[in-house]
Amino acid sequence: MNLANMTDYHHFPIYAIMVLFLGAFVVSVAGAKPSGNLKNPAGARAWIALCATGLSLFFLVMLIKPVMLEGEIIAYWMGSRAIAGGYAIGIALEVDALSLFFALLIATAVFVSAIYSIRYMVHDDCVPQYYVLYCLLAGGVLGLVLSGDIFNMFVMVEILTFAAVALTAFRTKVYGALEAAFKYLVVGCMGSTAILTGTIMLYAQYHTLNLAQLASLIPGTLNNATKLAFAFLYIGFSTKAFIVPFHPLAADAHGAAPASISVLISGVLTKSGIYGIIRLTYFLFQTMNLGSMQFMLVFIGSVSMFVCVTMALAQHDFKRLLAYHSISQIGYVLAAVGLSTSLGISAGLYHAMNHTLFKGLLFLAAGAVLHETGTTDLGKLGGLSKKMPHTTALFLIGAFSISGVPPFNGFASKWMIYQASYQKAVETNNIGFLAVTIIALVTSTLTLASFVKVSQSVFFGQLPREYENVKEVPFGMRLAMGILAVLCILTGIFPNTVTGVLTQPAAKAVADVGEYITAMGFKSNLPVPEVSFVQVGVWEPINWLLILCIALLALTIVAVAGKYDRVSENEGEQVETKYQLFYGGEKNVYSQVGGGDLFWGFKHNWRHYFDFMHDLHSGIVNDYALWAVVALALAIVYMMIVL
Amino acid sequence: MFQKLIAESTAKSPWLFHINSGSCNGCDIELVAILTPRYDVERLGFKLAGSPRQADIVVVTGPVTKQSLNRVLSTISQVPEPRCIVTMGSCPQSGNVFKGSYSVCAPLSQYVHVDVDIAGCAPKPEAIIDGLAKATKILKEKRGRM
Amino acid sequence: MTANIFLNGLQYLGYILIFPGFLFCFVCGMLLTGIDRKLVARMQKRVGPPILQPFYDFFKLCGKETIVPAAASRTTFLMAPLVGLAALVVIQLFIPIHGFSAFSGMADIIVILYLLLIPALAAILGAAASGSPYAGVGLSREMVTIISCELPLVLILLAVAKTVGNAMGTGLCFSMSDIADYQVQHGSLITRLSMIPAAIAFAMVIPGETGSHPFDTAEAETEICEGMHAEYSGAPLAAFKLSHAIKVLTLTSLFVALFFGGIGTGLVALDGVIVFALCVIATALFISFVHAVTARLKIEQVFKYYWTVVSGLALVSLVLAWYGM
Repeated sequence: MNLANMTDYHHFPIYAIMVLFLGAFVVSVAGAKPSGNLKNPAGARAWIALCATGLSLFFLVMLIKPVMLEGEIIAYWMGSRAIAGGYAIGIALEVDALSLFFALLIATAVFVSAIYSIRYMVHDDCVPQYYVLYCLLAGGVLGLVLSGDIFNMFVMVEILTFAAVALTAFRTKVYGALEAAFKYLVVGCMGSTAILTGTIMLYAQYHTLNLAQLASLIPGTLNNATKLAFAFLYIGFSTKAFIVPFHPLAADAHGAAPASISVLISGVLTKSGIYGIIRLTYFLFQTMNLGSMQFMLVFIGSVSMFVCVTMALAQHDFKRLLAYHSISQIGYVLAAVGLSTSLGISAGLYHAMNHTLFKGLLFLAAGAVLHETGTTDLGKLGGLSKKMPHTTALFLIGAFSISGVPPFNGFASKWMIYQASYQKAVETNNIGFLAVTIIALVTSTLTLASFVKVSQSVFFGQLPREYENVKEVPFGMRLAMGILAVLCILTGIFPNTVTGVLTQPAAKAVADVGEYITAMGFKSNLPVPEVSFVQVGVWEPINWLLILCIALLALTIVAVAGKYDRVSENEGEQVETKYQLFYGGEKNVYSQVGGGDLFWGFKHNWRHYFDFMHDLHSGIVNDYALWAVVALALAIVYMMIVL
Repeated sequence: MFQKLIAESTAKSPWLFHINSGSCNGCDIELVAILTPRYDVERLGFKLAGSPRQADIVVVTGPVTKQSLNRVLSTISQVPEPRCIVTMGSCPQSGNVFKGSYSVCAPLSQYVHVDVDIAGCAPKPEAIIDGLAKATKILKEKRGRM
Repeated sequence: MTANIFLNGLQYLGYILIFPGFLFCFVCGMLLTGIDRKLVARMQKRVGPPILQPFYDFFKLCGKETIVPAAASRTTFLMAPLVGLAALVVIQLFIPIHGFSAFSGMADIIVILYLLLIPALAAILGAAASGSPYAGVGLSREMVTIISCELPLVLILLAVAKTVGNAMGTGLCFSMSDIADYQVQHGSLITRLSMIPAAIAFAMVIPGETGSHPFDTAEAETEICEGMHAEYSGAPLAAFKLSHAIKVLTLTSLFVALFFGGIGTGLVALDGVIVFALCVIATALFISFVHAVTARLKIEQVFKYYWTVVSGLALVSLVLAWYGM
């Protein structure tokens, strides 16, 4: 094999995966004894992991041009074992725009999180194991989205589940870490088993595991066994995406895992589940033209959206709150994808990307707080903005993004989702889709409320005395957050570029299943669909930003001329009474308003609902396993009835 | 011109903050009386502020008990300049019937510069309005000196 | 060519700075609040402050000392009022006046819904940055008020979008300027049956969004010391007072633009006066009158009221619009 052949971009997908698995191996071998740098004994391993993830990202970025822009689908047979006798025998990778889209998200999140880990994990022991598992997890997810056959998807799911479980339990000293990992293990294994069962049922019927071939064989031949397989696979990928009813696991796992792993669980693992569901519904079974399937995805998406945002409002732990929001945002993605219009899919994928960026940023900010103060309890923190100004600014960018404040990226994608759902409602004359628009809009405000709670409870308000000596986090951690913050702003300001380059090709790929099948060498008579991304609304972030900047500039000029910033401030160590807070004349005492019950005016009216939810989320793993079984049963019954 | 505008406005929009330093509530009721339709000082721009940060005129009633002294002083210090301190009723000026008590610190002028004293137990609303009008003039002067 | 671009730029700068931007907002907003205070006073049989009173208050506050508490986060504390003010002026630019629209071609109603969050959010962050517990309670209530108003607003705006879209044949219309154009051609939306409940619901939302009686729980000066503004003094407080005044103008002119858009002559200056007159009427009816006859609600009552009565009305409107009435 010559060099020209090696640098052919058709090899890049497998390089991207192998680099991570090789990285896992090298990390475990390298540095059998601690390196000389005592301050950072895991240094070498961290850098190896960073290089591996960086290389992987590089390979995927190189694929943007052929796959996204030119619309090529890369079908890659391992060991050149292509189709024999009409059946796909070998292992295949198939990279279309959808796969590449998710792969890029994953690689970005993994790379940024690796930068963050270098300084974040300094104080932990067992760092070598951490990086081995880290690379395995990253490789597993990447393999899952790039894989071209369903059994490999299952293998990758297994790898990533076990890596994720081990990483959840990584900080064994943290209260609840082992318990969370156990819950995740139990329900995660039920999910993996469901995927395996579904795969077996498909193999028994169609004698192939190749996705493209299955996609060409299954539609039109749905019998009870196939429907059963569909239900099993759907539930299996649902557990990976943590959508309702599997959301309590996410809360426990995110809360207990180190922040850099929470980023992966929320930004990467959930995406792999969504990817699986899209592949399943749009490609393998091609059922998304049925109203019943659209209803199922949209319904579950909306329920996830609303239930998880209200659960988040009731949380009093920073990371658990973020975990629930994570599922709430995944609900947006699922509902948008379930609309089954090109605009909806594009909007959903756009939101998936934004979710990876802003939720990564928020988890890293939570990790920064944990790193410096040792707690993420909203009731114990406060006033950190004076000590950690950069982290606060970065957190606020993430918070604005997730709450959909213009011009950040969350707004751009949510706004597309509103339009897509309303347009769908008008087109089908079905008032049910209108409910999605309303739920999505209200959920967005509740998200904002929840992040106002976090900013008041953690970053603003009053500083508790025990955190007087807190410092800003090291540069490496701020750098990782900064990258994500810049991406959040850029993807918000240039929505048309982002959708044009990334999400619309992916949405086209979802619509054009025939191309996916023929690219692998199988026959398909599916027509090439018409896709349109016409939007009703107008949103020109650049112009808006320009106007806002001019307005702000004019105001600032007036303010500066009027000596707005000539304020009187306390000088010296002792705080004069003039600069103390007004307490009706009393001496200043610590009285922070914040924590879980900040919005009691809202919660009071919903107390019965919250009581019900509180009882429902018992935290007992048996209950959650039961939920999984019930969900599976319901899915089976539903599929049997409607398909 | 702008400075003149601000000085004019300062006289036309004085916001009151009311501190009770152990008063019998007589003066307090009279202070509220001037906001009623009969006297309506809002036509002069007066308004009761909820926080000392937003106040221009601090109205102190009561004989400044020991308990309240520090609280009164710290609250007065939290009012931004230019500010005007008005004592209302006889208590904060002399101690009135409480004079000589171990627990009373009146007069207030020992501790902080008082701009206007409104005498009476309790003062008539007309007297209060007159005193406050004087205070607005002082406020304007103070603004001019800033 | 360059001269052309320069002139265009100057024109847009004029829009932003003079009409319908800063100067217009400043004067009209302040006048509206002045009229409001005067009307409330007259309804209570008082003489009331002069109509120019808000101007006096504003300039006085500009001349006061600005105290930054030692516990506050300085940058956020000082920047929040300015950002909120700028954002409000930008929203005002997006609201069409009869047929004239400075920038409303690039605004749609969902964008406006979200832009309305920014000033409130700025106030909340400023309050949070001050560190005062009173401000903490205030911001909690303000946020709940926002949540309360959001559901009815969403329903109203979707109903408007559907009604105009139905009439235009596209099924759906989000664009602010299209809604204005439609009304110029076919008369005000209030004449349609489905829009009447929506208009009533929007009128009920106005006092909640502007934080006036009986929904002023967030700034309850007698119980939580002005709430969110407890630690603000001097020029930043002046900016907040101005923001409040402009918010009154924004919401009333949004109300006028959505439901009474057809009333006008085509002459921009005259239309500005007409719209302002309509805003005054709206303020008088929905802010002053309501202020004079009600007492402050508790925050959970505010929430309940908006999510039941007002949302119910808006939902009726949406359903009617859906079936093309």
